[in-house]
Amino acid sequence: MILVLFGVSVIVFYLARGFPSAFSPWAQYITVKTKPAQIEAIIKTHGFDQPLYIQYWYWLWDVFHGDWGYSNWANGLPTYVVFSSRFPFTVELTITATILTLAIGIPLGIVSALRNNTAADHAARIVALTGYSVPSYWFAYVLQLVFAYYFYTWGLPSLPSGGIISQGLQGTVPTVTGLPILDGLFAGNLGYTADAVAHVILPAFNLSFISLGYLARIVRASMLEVLRQDYITMARAKGLPERIVIYRHALRNALIPAMTLTGLFVAGLLGGAIITETVFSWPGVGYVSLIAVFQGDSNFLLLYSLITALIIVVANLTVDVLYVFLDPRIKY
Amino acid sequence: MGKKTDQAYLTRGETQARIAELKYALHLMRQNRLVLSGSILVIFFIILSATATTIVSPDQAFDLNFSQSYCWPSSIISWTALAATCPQGSNFLLGTDGFGRDLLKMIILAIPLDISIALTVVTVATAFGVTVGSVAGWVGGKFDEIILRITDIFFAFPSLVLALVFAALFGRTIQNLTIAVLLVWWPIYVRLMRGQVLVEREKTYVEALKSLGVKPARLVLLHIMPNAIYPILVQMTLDIGGVILTFSALMFLGFSPDPALPELGNLAADGIGHVFTAPWLIVFPGVTILVIALAFNLVGDGLRDVLDPRLRR
Repeated sequence: MILVLFGVSVIVFYLARGFPSAFSPWAQYITVKTKPAQIEAIIKTHGFDQPLYIQYWYWLWDVFHGDWGYSNWANGLPTYVVFSSRFPFTVELTITATILTLAIGIPLGIVSALRNNTAADHAARIVALTGYSVPSYWFAYVLQLVFAYYFYTWGLPSLPSGGIISQGLQGTVPTVTGLPILDGLFAGNLGYTADAVAHVILPAFNLSFISLGYLARIVRASMLEVLRQDYITMARAKGLPERIVIYRHALRNALIPAMTLTGLFVAGLLGGAIITETVFSWPGVGYVSLIAVFQGDSNFLLLYSLITALIIVVANLTVDVLYVFLDPRIKY
Repeated sequence: MGKKTDQAYLTRGETQARIAELKYALHLMRQNRLVLSGSILVIFFIILSATATTIVSPDQAFDLNFSQSYCWPSSIISWTALAATCPQGSNFLLGTDGFGRDLLKMIILAIPLDISIALTVVTVATAFGVTVGSVAGWVGGKFDEIILRITDIFFAFPSLVLALVFAALFGRTIQNLTIAVLLVWWPIYVRLMRGQVLVEREKTYVEALKSLGVKPARLVLLHIMPNAIYPILVQMTLDIGGVILTFSALMFLGFSPDPALPELGNLAADGIGHVFTAPWLIVFPGVTILVIALAFNLVGDGLRDVLDPRLRR
């Protein structure tokens, strides 16, 4: 695990700091008014003229002392502040997208398993395959076009096309968790929460549409597998109603593989959905990381990729542990 | 015992059984209407990309005419009240882009580029992954451990960011963008092949061949590979759509070498600022990508069901 984080940081460090002509690391410490002589001095004092492995060592030292550097494009704020101020938005999007994925994907999978090789199964298969064939940026714009633009022009209830909260409501509730939906609830301001929910639906659906197909396929496969087991035959032979056989006996075991997928999906989303966040102007970490790439902000990219890697590694570990817990047949 | 003791086994039983198996698989695939339509679409797109430059002259991409940019021809569908109408006598079926080019022609020109990039990435990633993966799986030990850790690192990466940084650093040429996608695409094949080899090497037939004195390289290449290759084939088919999606997304996010380049993501990117005035610019290139990716995914999904005898139902 440490090894993975070390590897990620080395690769990103090499890419982000090793090519000063494209990504000048000192760009975060200068302004338009900085004179060439001062730039020289900044390069010297920050050690940007040293060999790369020494620079890496400096960076590691600073990181362990809580110093992640600064991001010039974000008004020179410390990089970790830039990250932590954006992270709650990504969390909100992740949670909503996950709920939507589970709420649509699991029933879809169950239906296709129970009605195996019928029209319903084929329809679910097409939905699933479309989900992972669809370019997410395109789908995002289509959602905007239909639900924000056409619904509005037809006089139907429309959804906002981007952002996290309507302009007029910005800053009307105190920040507690940083998640607009929860903050609205805490402040007892339901109008605020409703507005926040309306903003999150389209990006969350866009994200979940891509992955609910995978989920449905996995649920279908494991459900079919489980339904062929002896204990299900036994439960049926006992005369249990089909509902109980399926929802109480089969589903529990069939959902174990789906859990793995959900865990990895959540981990991936917490790392920021660059495309969806960008199209919906959702100010989460994915959106910011794209800005950081264009701004040549190596400080942010290092912090961002390390945290994302950490989330993925921890998620993998959690899923493995949970797996053993949920399925006693598996032993390590 | 000669060194080609496995020859008889290879030429007689093995090959015939494999051909019979393949025929049966093809038969099963033809049974499934979804897979059949996917295959027809795939064949259509491959023929289209081979003949695209004869249908539409590539010079058309440089034929800029700003007086007719962002216009929509027919009155059958009216996208928005804000859309500009194309001049009388012009026949742009799918409207024009910001450079005043026929969008349909640009899409036709773009398809071969996207498909060839996808094929390149998938082929190179597979070749690399199969080689490294089978060596890692067969040799095991330290080498396997190192390879595993390296793929772990790449799996933990936010892959799009790695590709973005690479593209930002080394310049936005098609070649560099292809390498950027390749950079995040190879580890899955290494892992897949390694897992396959690990399973196969424990089987009785490998033990039998080993005892016959068949050399490791021959054993892996001629005996294990044919048995281990099916999941790789499925992955390749499924990945073609994925690579097109990723590559066009890079273009869409602003890493295009040239805004006028006929590439599906790039054509869609041209419509970003004009979503509500010229929606067709995003809609049609996106639909094209969706249909291509869906066609390959349908075939891949069908292949997976058919090639794995346990899943045949």
